Amino acid sequence: MLTQDSNMLQGAPFEDAPAIPPRNASAYNPLHTFELPTGGERHYQHQFADLYFLRLAQLKTTVKQKAEAAWHGFELGEMKASFVERVLDVRQGELCWIVGTVFMEMAKKPNVLDDVTKEHWINAPPDRATYVTAGEDEMMLEDESGRLRVSGAVMDSHYVTGCILAALGTEQADGTFQVVATQCADLPRQPQRWERDDASETKPKRGKAGKLAIVSGLGLNGEDDNELALDLLVEYLTGESAGPSTQNEASKITRLIIAGDSLVHGSPILSREDFDKQKAQSRHYGYDATFYNASPIERLDDLLCAILPSLPITLLPGQTDPANVALPQQALHHALFPNARLYAEPLIKTNETLHGFDAVTNPWEGDIDGFRVLGTGGQTVNDMLKYVEGIKSVQAMEMMLRLRCVAPTAPDTLWCYPFQDDDPHLLKECPHMYFAGCQERFGKKVIEGPEGQKVLLVSVPRFRDTGKIVLVDLESWAVEVVRVGESGHQTLGPCLVNSIQPTRV
Amino acid sequence: MAEEQYKDYLAGRVLSEQKPVTYRLLSRALKTNVNTAKRMLFDFHKKQNAKKPKSVHATYLITGTQRDSEHTNDSNGTNGRNGEDTDMRSSPFMSSMPEPEDSDESEEDDEKPVKETTLLLVREEELEETRTEFADIYSIHIYSLEPGPLENLHVLSACNREIADEHAKKEDPLERWKTYGSIRNPHIKRRTAKYAPPAAASAPKPVAKPVAKTATNPIAKLGAKKEAPAQARKGSASDDNTSERSTAQPPAGPSTLKRTDSKSGAKKDKSAGDIFKSFAKAKAKPKEAERSKESTPAPLENGKYLLTCPEPMQGMSEDEGDADDEPAIKVDEEKNEAARKVREDRAEKLRKMMEDDDEDMPDAPAADSQPEVTPPAAADTPEPIEGEPTITVQNGRRRGRRRVMKKKKVKDEDGYLVTKEEAVWESFSEDEPQPKKHKPAPAKPANSAKGKNAVKKGQGSIASFFKKA
Repeated sequence: MLTQDSNMLQGAPFEDAPAIPPRNASAYNPLHTFELPTGGERHYQHQFADLYFLRLAQLKTTVKQKAEAAWHGFELGEMKASFVERVLDVRQGELCWIVGTVFMEMAKKPNVLDDVTKEHWINAPPDRATYVTAGEDEMMLEDESGRLRVSGAVMDSHYVTGCILAALGTEQADGTFQVVATQCADLPRQPQRWERDDASETKPKRGKAGKLAIVSGLGLNGEDDNELALDLLVEYLTGESAGPSTQNEASKITRLIIAGDSLVHGSPILSREDFDKQKAQSRHYGYDATFYNASPIERLDDLLCAILPSLPITLLPGQTDPANVALPQQALHHALFPNARLYAEPLIKTNETLHGFDAVTNPWEGDIDGFRVLGTGGQTVNDMLKYVEGIKSVQAMEMMLRLRCVAPTAPDTLWCYPFQDDDPHLLKECPHMYFAGCQERFGKKVIEGPEGQKVLLVSVPRFRDTGKIVLVDLESWAVEVVRVGESGHQTLGPCLVNSIQPTRV
Repeated sequence: MAEEQYKDYLAGRVLSEQKPVTYRLLSRALKTNVNTAKRMLFDFHKKQNAKKPKSVHATYLITGTQRDSEHTNDSNGTNGRNGEDTDMRSSPFMSSMPEPEDSDESEEDDEKPVKETTLLLVREEELEETRTEFADIYSIHIYSLEPGPLENLHVLSACNREIADEHAKKEDPLERWKTYGSIRNPHIKRRTAKYAPPAAASAPKPVAKPVAKTATNPIAKLGAKKEAPAQARKGSASDDNTSERSTAQPPAGPSTLKRTDSKSGAKKDKSAGDIFKSFAKAKAKPKEAERSKESTPAPLENGKYLLTCPEPMQGMSEDEGDADDEPAIKVDEEKNEAARKVREDRAEKLRKMMEDDDEDMPDAPAADSQPEVTPPAAADTPEPIEGEPTITVQNGRRRGRRRVMKKKKVKDEDGYLVTKEEAVWESFSEDEPQPKKHKPAPAKPANSAKGKNAVKKGQGSIASFFKKA
């Protein structure tokens, strides 16, 4: 309730306002797992098949061990389960288990071979909300030797293309593999808190960890931005709006993460709608510089500059940001932020900034206050949700972690860099916190692993639609939401915006 | 200090000018703490409405937790979304899906409720009603005052834009917390901009469209005009500051002055009007203005005058490879401070200049005599005819258009081939021969000489071709 000191509804005399405590430093130690080689080192002519073999090779041992632990001595009827090395060696009627990569055969899933063979040069079909056709989709397990059609309970367990699984079952008369149970790699080893920092130097004195603010989907387009909501966001984060109690709360925030889709039309590959629009306007072939509109990125630069003097920012690109489209997306270039980059370290010195403005990759991982944080701009989760029905973002995120792959559906339905020797999307270490931006709505979940790993999953809704900022207290792992808005639009607003926007799941 | 000032300011702004004012703008205008500003607004609102009811309208910001915000928002949002979005899905089975999902969601929310703080902007008349929706209110304060009820609250964002345009750039962003009471972060550092990349990038624009009217390219003009008066002033009275930058200015000064002399009086008047036009534009395009003011080597940002100073040339060429990310020279804080002050002074002076230069204008019109601003005018000047009205130098390359004599063969009505000589405009781009030129004067002849040379060459080669034939 209103206490005297927070009552702003009183007139003169104006005594000095109580000072807000300064922010603590954000102990920040980014990793560069998802950075691609630069310049001539980056090759796009490799085959994507290698990526799948790589994943299978790296995860096969772990999955096999898991399966062995679970199914050793398993008997069904009189049959004893045994491991079969290659999927094509499975004999009919024999109870066995195999390890392979899931491939989903879905009629509505985009298929690059279709595009090539049919040779019709029309616009790509609109993005689908889902690839699922109930009852008609098929699932396969493949390894180096071949593919095996899979049926049974496994169909309901929300697996997507790219998962590495161990499946127990028997081959039926029609050649399909009837699955009884499955096993996946589950969470990898989780580092201790402060593990990386402690390794390098003697333990510094550490204060209490602050809060981490995550916002995503600012969706600036330079035209009909919700300036008021953005103003309120800035004023809340800098501790200017509201009363002293709220301002003191805000001062506990030590870092802001912007998780993708800061701009709406920033992607170098135009969406279907944008393409049509531009084609109608343009009289030239190819890129027309006169249609370039700098105002959204300038607005973003201003926005960052308004927050930066008070709060360090980590900026992840998203699907519609001006970064490369293939995962992992590389950091937004500093040249886009002529003013905000003054808060960053010069690129020539280092590509990370510990206190200030740090533009990072998507996905990104790093240590914040000692905890390993993994985050994405949300495309990976959104794409995974198209394969399955009736699950929420946080559940999809949990599945990714348990499958040990941040982007299982790449390169099938997500653009991806053709990695050759190592796929950074495979989880080497389990994060403490995993967030995904640009989701339909807010969600959080704490999951636990077999070795006592605990992971906090947070799905961050789009700010443009919901006005929501997610705060995570790194000390207690308490999650809260701050919503800014104006009355009268509180219930109507988000829905309205949603119905106008092109559908994107 | 601001005790009485605020009444005058608010009366002037809200009652006379009929403009809205937010607490933030008030705090910036009076240089006072934001929390004090909120109460000043309240005080003014109360006293004014006591004098004359309904003369001032207020918008409040309520902070707190809403009673069933989670429920109303999320379930509404969900239903609406699912209802509308599923029409993309062609399968009829899907429509049954959202229900279990929803119940699942709300179940989970009930289990572990997440604290949701809401910051809600409310109109005066809805205040009491909205208040009841909150289970817990942390604070209420006046967000803004305006002369009457607002149809659309979004007009309030204009106040923040005004802050960015008029107040923010004059101050050090890292010192804001002292004055306004925003949260301080002692760990953040800011580099000083060494070069002025954005404005420089826009400089070549007018070259691409040499016939563009003066009003159509405000950015480049802005850069040119805003800075030129400063140069002129520095040239005439350069005793006022002792920045390290002032060393670079004298050579630039004379060059602009010289160009002025060749101008006719009539043009002066016209261009004076243009200054204002562009200045008005500048307000509309705050970012450019901000940048050009902020930028350190700003006077040189229009490509033309780069010739006069070797130092920024370097900067320009490096700009391609991300200029600002050069290791900034370790300037100590005092120096930074000094430089900033100088910059602020200059910005201030500049503004004064713009305000009072319509009457006498000793050498201010220097600004618009620049050929790239009014290319046709420049072409008229008694320079060599094959002149180079639109040559810019950037990154060690000269680009622009020049007039060249070209031969044209036509068949006349009798069927004879007739060769005509015609003057044609052609665009060119070539390597800059001398990157360093210390005197501005030679730059011109050099350019025109180039043009001539090129013409001669062309003629020679064509002639020899004909001889052979």
